[in-house]
Amino acid sequence: MGNMARTKVAAIPIPGIGPELIVKTVKAPPPDAPAAEAFAAGAAEPSEPAALDPALPEPERVPTVTLRDIARFFVKRITRERIIALALACVSLGTLFLVWYLGTKYRFEFYIRFKNVPTPAEVYRQAAQIGLSNKFLVNIAYSVRRILTGFLIAIAIGVPMGLLIGKYQRVRELLMPTVEILRPIPAIAWVPMSIMLWPNNEAAIVFITFIGAFFPILLNTIHGVHSLDGVLIRAGRCLGANEAQLFWNVILPGSLPHIFTGLAVGMGVAWVSLIAAEMISGQFGVGYLTWEAYSLVDYPTIMLGMITIGVLGLACSGIIRMVGVLMMPWLAFAPGGKR
Amino acid sequence: MSVIETSLEPSGQPAREAPKGFVDVRNMGVTFGSGDNRVVAVEDVSLHVQPGEFVSLIGPSGCGKSTLLSIVAGFVTPTRGEALLDGKPINKPGSDRGVVFQQYSLFPWLSVRKNVEFGLKMAGVGLSKRNVTARSLLDLAGLLSFENHYPDQLSGGMKQRIGIIRALATSPQVLLMDEPFGALDTQTRVVMQEILTNIWQQFRISVLFITHDIEESIFLSDRIYVMTARPGRIKAEIKVPLPRPRTPEMTDTPEFLNLVQELKGLIREESLAAMAPEIKDRGLAGFGMKVGPKGVGELY
Repeated sequence: MGNMARTKVAAIPIPGIGPELIVKTVKAPPPDAPAAEAFAAGAAEPSEPAALDPALPEPERVPTVTLRDIARFFVKRITRERIIALALACVSLGTLFLVWYLGTKYRFEFYIRFKNVPTPAEVYRQAAQIGLSNKFLVNIAYSVRRILTGFLIAIAIGVPMGLLIGKYQRVRELLMPTVEILRPIPAIAWVPMSIMLWPNNEAAIVFITFIGAFFPILLNTIHGVHSLDGVLIRAGRCLGANEAQLFWNVILPGSLPHIFTGLAVGMGVAWVSLIAAEMISGQFGVGYLTWEAYSLVDYPTIMLGMITIGVLGLACSGIIRMVGVLMMPWLAFAPGGKR
Repeated sequence: MSVIETSLEPSGQPAREAPKGFVDVRNMGVTFGSGDNRVVAVEDVSLHVQPGEFVSLIGPSGCGKSTLLSIVAGFVTPTRGEALLDGKPINKPGSDRGVVFQQYSLFPWLSVRKNVEFGLKMAGVGLSKRNVTARSLLDLAGLLSFENHYPDQLSGGMKQRIGIIRALATSPQVLLMDEPFGALDTQTRVVMQEILTNIWQQFRISVLFITHDIEESIFLSDRIYVMTARPGRIKAEIKVPLPRPRTPEMTDTPEFLNLVQELKGLIREESLAAMAPEIKDRGLAGFGMKVGPKGVGELY
């Protein structure tokens, strides 16, 4: 692409409007990268015989992705910036671990008491013992299923509702009073009501997770519609888009960056709500596991539960961010830099 | 969608029975607000654009020229009078009128080609066909090699070129342009004017072009309407007798410079009036003198 851009001559021959007006071009890799580099990259993957198989016929210019390409892709991404970032991440996590380790080793006790806090070794032993046990994995599976169900329902209701509220004043006037009075009620405060409301515990917990995720998603979607540049809607209209087409082709993609902000926030709140609900009313689930461990004076499992919640939460927001990058590739070029 | 096929043969004059794209604005008046906040933006304006004619509307800022264009585009309903396109009243936006906005209005989430295809997609044109159309238009604008870029990767001049061909993709009867080069630097602007004359030369589409740049309006137009300060009225109608195709050298000819002088005189009066309404009654002789509590003397 970048190469084409440099060779293509403008069809209207007016000087000064050629490709030099480009602000940014995507830099394509050089067409023939040094063979040595490719070999080195390929050799780094000894488990791939196909890429170096001499029995294959002369490789034509077929656009296939070999492991060598993948390796090169990753090697190219090792930059100074990334190494620094990785090092700092290690320092950050290392400090946290060190505080835990030293605190429990010397039984630190000055207002904060590390007396009963399990040591890393104890937690590790516990993890090794029950980490792959059926009970532990079932608990995780329950929590993940509840999160996904509640979160997906929150998306399915929150995004369309947000788009409609954002777009139509009458819908806004109709729905916003209810939204505004329900919104300040924290999901945890819904626990008793939810248990009364729903036929079983499972539905009640999913409902509480849904409540947690719903409002951030809804409000950010509304905000996304409002912050959409009006000229884009006018442009869509005069290019012949009807109301439904406008929604699907302009308003939804235009609000997408804000919707994803809502998803990220909503996922965080959903986890908070889920764990609280599981602790109070649950059977199964990571929150239940953690609370049960406390009742049984099983301190290492408390820590294990907390770490599990942290890792699951991190994974969930990581997935959302990844989906966001895949769905909104244009943001890489948006003014204001990378997200 | 047969219109698309015909208009994409820019040079080979398509066989149209009657040329289309006749814009007729009759006794148009626009009032915003009511009571004490009542503002008359446009008052009794009549103008027209012949099929295939390039007409500019020039006037001081705030004179209602953009409002007029919004009415022809179908975004604003006039308080009085009517706007017609080929005899039919205009009451909502539609793809028979292509609009190029002053702000960059490309959809940032679509690639350059998908932006150009947008209007065709809305009209239900098939993928391969709109692909071909978009690519030929991009080629015309010298941007084919950028078809897979996103708008944020392009310069202002490129974005506006794409804005123009995107508006042309649905084969509108008329192109409405609202200070399309206003946000560009002077050099790019001059080049864009040439590109626009080139494209217009090939499509021979009616154009209603809004600007506050005198040279730009003369260089581009067959005819120029000069508007008064608010409330906007048509102050003068000026024919531009320069031959086509227009070249940059023409801007140095006496004819061109005379037109510039003439228009400058007309606009200056109105610009001053727009800033200090008192001048309008006292005439330009009052310029520079203390006129009143908020008079001219304090403005300069």
